[in-house]
Amino acid sequence: MQLSLNEDQTQILDFIDSLAKPFSTLPMHDVSLALESAELDEALVENGFLDVMAVEELGPVTAALVVERLARLPFAVEAAASAMVRPLIDPELPRPLCLMEEGKTRKPLRFLRPGATVVVAGPSGVKSFTATEEMIAPAQEDTLYGYPVAFLTSLPDAMTSHDVDAAEITRAWRVAIAAEAAGLLGAALASTVTYVSERKQFGRPLATFQGMRHRLAEDQVMTNTVYWMAMRAAGTGSQADAAMALQHAQEAAKRVCYDYHQFLGGMGMTLEHPLHLWTYRLKLLTAELGGRGAQGLAAAEALWS
Amino acid sequence: MQFEWTEEQDAFRHKIRDFLHANLPDGWEKFSEHGPASPALTAFAREFCVKLADAGILFPHWPRDMGGDGLGPWEQQILAEEMWIAGEPRGGQYMNVNWIGPTLDKYGTAEQKTRYLEPITKGQSLWCQGFSEPDAGSDLASLRTRAELKDGNYVINGQKIWTSYAGLADTCFLLTRTSEDKKRGITIILVPMDTPGITVRQIPSLIGEGDIHEVFFDDVTVPESARFGEEGQAWEIVAYSLRNERLGIPRFTLARAALDRAVSMLKDAGDFDGEYVRIEAARCAALCEAAGTANYAVVQRRVDGFAIGAESSSARYATVMAERAVCEFVIEFLPEALAGASPYLKMHHQRGIVAGVAAGSAEIQLNIIASEVLELPREPR
Ligand SMILES: Cc1cc2nc3c(=O)[nH]c(=O)nc-3n(C[C@H](O)[C@H](O)[C@H](O)COP(=O)(O)OP(=O)(O)OC[C@H]3O[C@@H](n4cnc5c(N)ncnc54)[C@H](O)[C@@H]3O)c2cc1C
Repeated sequence: MQLSLNEDQTQILDFIDSLAKPFSTLPMHDVSLALESAELDEALVENGFLDVMAVEELGPVTAALVVERLARLPFAVEAAASAMVRPLIDPELPRPLCLMEEGKTRKPLRFLRPGATVVVAGPSGVKSFTATEEMIAPAQEDTLYGYPVAFLTSLPDAMTSHDVDAAEITRAWRVAIAAEAAGLLGAALASTVTYVSERKQFGRPLATFQGMRHRLAEDQVMTNTVYWMAMRAAGTGSQADAAMALQHAQEAAKRVCYDYHQFLGGMGMTLEHPLHLWTYRLKLLTAELGGRGAQGLAAAEALWS
Repeated sequence: MQFEWTEEQDAFRHKIRDFLHANLPDGWEKFSEHGPASPALTAFAREFCVKLADAGILFPHWPRDMGGDGLGPWEQQILAEEMWIAGEPRGGQYMNVNWIGPTLDKYGTAEQKTRYLEPITKGQSLWCQGFSEPDAGSDLASLRTRAELKDGNYVINGQKIWTSYAGLADTCFLLTRTSEDKKRGITIILVPMDTPGITVRQIPSLIGEGDIHEVFFDDVTVPESARFGEEGQAWEIVAYSLRNERLGIPRFTLARAALDRAVSMLKDAGDFDGEYVRIEAARCAALCEAAGTANYAVVQRRVDGFAIGAESSSARYATVMAERAVCEFVIEFLPEALAGASPYLKMHHQRGIVAGVAAGSAEIQLNIIASEVLELPREPR
């Protein structure tokens, strides 16, 4: 057991922080609903940050750390699927990568656009294809989710089959989403804490009222444990750990997002404050892979069958 | 980051497990339904701790100059986990090896060390912790039990409450007030429990017989040499001694084991096929694992040489969530467990329900997280 970051991990995270610095804050009044940056994406790819999992000394825990760190940015980055799932299928698959449960075409897909690789995982195995313009319907323009999302209107006749175990891909997918959720939870908490520590009512900062302090403290407990469970699941590779990590992350997201908007009062309803970028991403992640219930059933199967 | 135990750590865990397997008597599980502070378990522990001492696993985490093996925080954690999950066969003596011994060693006089350390290392002493009072629970620093120095003796008057083990303890680690200066007016006195003037009354409780007590002190007189540290030094000493103890008992291990037991009973009864029960069970397991990982993150801080701080409150609260979830799961799906069908689950329940109160309540942990982890501006006083 060794839970501190090793030197490589510290270096990588420091490097990401400096590279992402220009993207860590937003010009006020300029927050679109789904914020992305091609420049940031390119820089991450160029420096190999999305490929750390395959490097032997780095591996899946480092990849999870990268995903967690990037999720804290106000800009959405397609990192989770590329950094943690793609290496298990085919490291050369073109990005962005969109993960889709077999048969669930009705759900919006994050980062879907022409040229994206759609990976379909389910009972009939793991397949992929490159999305083209004709297969994609845009989501409503002012969708709230904080990610670019779109719908698949049709599937191609031919897909590439991958000789990998669908259960293993689903496991990695769970861990990837849990790591992303951990970062989003951390950023949303930090953002809320800053706001309520500065905003005064009744002559004192809102954060001095115990009604808020206790809920925020509980949120800290959830956030901290989501982080650790995601890292552990990445490290152990266990099906049960992965399912529990995502179940816990989705549970946490359900619990905190409402509170955070509430604590910002009217400001929590605006686009001026960036909170929604993290919370609405979290909300969408609560629907991944069937949501809490499906993770619970998967965990129960892995633990007790 | 690395989530596997080393071979040595695995070996250490197995050594303890093998020892417990070989030395816990038949029927132990039913027996351990007696609370850790019950007369039955206390008497059992007086024999069992001798065996642990002989096998070198009573205080292997103590430094070598105290007679231990100088093992690190992970090994201390492993030891605590294996004992707790087995139903804590050390009874109240776990306190001796966790914090009383090391505190005696650091702050005790030569006489106090001679008198008290040896019985601890022989598995032969039981202490109680006289901190809480009827009007001083969460607000411990407002305690009022007085100790007055008269002619070379301290004369103690007042009342303690919730004192675990008091009925059978040899010695009380007692917090007393020696001046009005709130925190700096508190002084520790080591009081033999057979001193005249001490009355102990058991408090009937949900958590099993013999666990919590009221302790009355009427003109209890002990020599000045029974004072531990200087007058007014109690707060500093307690902060030190509980520093490495702030994680508390590794409850998540037993909560998880209880959950596994409950699931296996449900499966035997053919009642573990529904989706709701399976999802709920998994949610409980996730909360146990959440508490486990949070605890381990704190242990790592110790390994890295940091004093344990407010992050332990976060781990403690995660533990409370896990205990609560498992206790409620068992009653919802296996109500018969607490009515005779499973002594083990009843034992867990009675130990689990105190997680949010004993040793600093859950809300106090939240206060600490808010101020010291989130660094929110302080509440006005
Ligand atoms: C099984 C068990 C064993 C124990 N063993 C010992 C022992 O051996 N020795 C010993 O000295 N003590 C012992 N205790 C006592 C324990 O430490 C106290 O019960 C605990 O500190 C809480 O104090 P209280 O019971 O007076 O509750 P109170 O302090 O009266 O608290 C009641 C409720 O109010 C909440 N509350 C209090 N202050 C605040 C605040 N500032 N903000 C928000 N909420 C607040 C608490 O969280 C709690 O929910 C034991 C308790 C139990 C249950």
